[in-house]
Amino acid sequence: MKKAVYAGAVRPYDLRSPRVKAGYTLMTMLCVFAVLLALMPVVWVILSGFKDLKEFNRGVKAADNHYYLQFLPVSFSPDGYLDTWNQMKYVRYYLNSLAVVLGSVICAVLFNGLLAYGLSRLKPRGWKVVYALIMGTLMVPATTSIVPLFINITRLGFGGSFVPLWLSAGASAFYVVLFKNFYDAMPNSLLEAARLDGCDDWRLFFKIVLPLSMPINIVIVIYAVNAAWSDFLLPYLVLSGTRLETVMVRLFTYRTSDRVNNMDIIRAIVFSILPPILLFIAFQRQITQNVVSAGIKG
Amino acid sequence: MTGRTLPNRSDRRKRELGAWLIMLPGLLLFAFFIWEPLLAAVRLSLYEANGMRVVRFAGLENFRSVLSSPDFWPSVRNTFLYLLWSLAIGFLVPIALAIFIQESVRLKSLYRTAVYLPNIVPSLATVFLWRYIFRSDGSGALNMLLSAFGVEAQAWLNDPSRVIPLIVVTMTWKGAGATALLYLAGLQGINPELYEAAIIDGANVKQRILHVTLPQLYNLARTLLILQVIAVFQILYEPLVMTNGGPNNASISLMQLVFRYAFEKYDYSRASAVSVLISIALVVLTAVYNRLNREKDM
Repeated sequence: MKKAVYAGAVRPYDLRSPRVKAGYTLMTMLCVFAVLLALMPVVWVILSGFKDLKEFNRGVKAADNHYYLQFLPVSFSPDGYLDTWNQMKYVRYYLNSLAVVLGSVICAVLFNGLLAYGLSRLKPRGWKVVYALIMGTLMVPATTSIVPLFINITRLGFGGSFVPLWLSAGASAFYVVLFKNFYDAMPNSLLEAARLDGCDDWRLFFKIVLPLSMPINIVIVIYAVNAAWSDFLLPYLVLSGTRLETVMVRLFTYRTSDRVNNMDIIRAIVFSILPPILLFIAFQRQITQNVVSAGIKG
Repeated sequence: MTGRTLPNRSDRRKRELGAWLIMLPGLLLFAFFIWEPLLAAVRLSLYEANGMRVVRFAGLENFRSVLSSPDFWPSVRNTFLYLLWSLAIGFLVPIALAIFIQESVRLKSLYRTAVYLPNIVPSLATVFLWRYIFRSDGSGALNMLLSAFGVEAQAWLNDPSRVIPLIVVTMTWKGAGATALLYLAGLQGINPELYEAAIIDGANVKQRILHVTLPQLYNLARTLLILQVIAVFQILYEPLVMTNGGPNNASISLMQLVFRYAFEKYDYSRASAVSVLISIALVVLTAVYNRLNREKDM
């Protein structure tokens, strides 16, 4: 295993040359810089949430009359976070977001999975046309259809409801492609055996295909959780002004609201990034490996 | 294939019907959320509408009015500026990052995890966060950081000549790590023997990277390039939240024009007209791009 570490273009003996050595050192410094650049803004916003407005806005005054950015807060008291959490009623937004995420994940796996199963294993006459139409949507900007979609949802009386948000996760060309690639590679024998036992297609899908597809299910779940939590345009159009607003919709309304002070917005940012970050820490291995390699195949 | 296990024609027809039934829920969702709204957008762009009610056929009137709106040409120019800057900054950074990480011997998994982290920060939270970093008075995080080095407070997002590159920096911060991991997956597919062969041929490090590493990424880079173009062409949240299109329309994008027409002026037909123009531009861009690629391959 240790040997494979040097599988790249640079080999240990290259480092004997001072020029290569210098370049390699520079490269390592750039990597460290990239890591800092990636992490700092997130760390900064979390630390800033502990500050009070004055401390955040002006920094700390030094002897030469300059205001310096104080990276660490003066105190780590959680009062500020608790105040914002309670005053802005974040419990409700969290529960709403949770509801959107759960429903979206179920729809994403179920509907895209069934569709991909049909396209991959059943292949009724005309499936290629359907598949081409689905692939085509990958190329057409999704936001183009947002206006008529919004009109349709309102006309059907689905405004102010989670249902359109859940169902919209069930129509993702990207997920269909990922599922289809996975099903394509599934061994035929198992499916045929179950079929001979009299399993119909629905039972086959739920009893055999779905349980056997855990690796791809996990990838889709991770994508769908992230997408459902982060999405705000459709949720904003559908839920804005109702009691069902999600964490992201709330954050978006702070865009123009001047009644909210900066500290509350900073903490709202933290509330909106904390769940994905905790999930990422818990599942970082799966995310940086499986999800990425799935993305490359799709 | 699957037909072979079936004895006769009526069974085969039943099978086909069953397959379509299994795909039906997913197809209905695609129709409702993507296909129908897309067609409806085209139709709506040709009609005069009063709120959500279509009043009369208007031909190209909406397009004419959109094209002569004072915001249209700035937004076209800006969208292309976003594109250029994102190609200049956003396209090369992930490739360099991937090569750096691949060549690193130590801390590889730390690099991978850290650079991926911004990707799971929801885009709305990202733009709010960076809006605070780029705040123009002495209270912006970047200005405070620079003041430690004696640099005067800069206008950042309020500076028309800087606003677009800075927004692209924000997008790159979020996207570069995830894209780098895609390239990294491609790099890990390189057969180490290729490097051995190059070394035996006397290739130095630079030649190895130019002739072994980079060619491996060529196909992936081609795909990611067009996906990036499609994504950047629809840029919306960043200018919407960070600058609201300002200062003085210096950062307004085409998608933002759609947002303004639809959800601020409730003029759905003009919003659709702009969406249709965006779609046409993207279809043309993609077609030209594919054409160029095909010629190069021959």
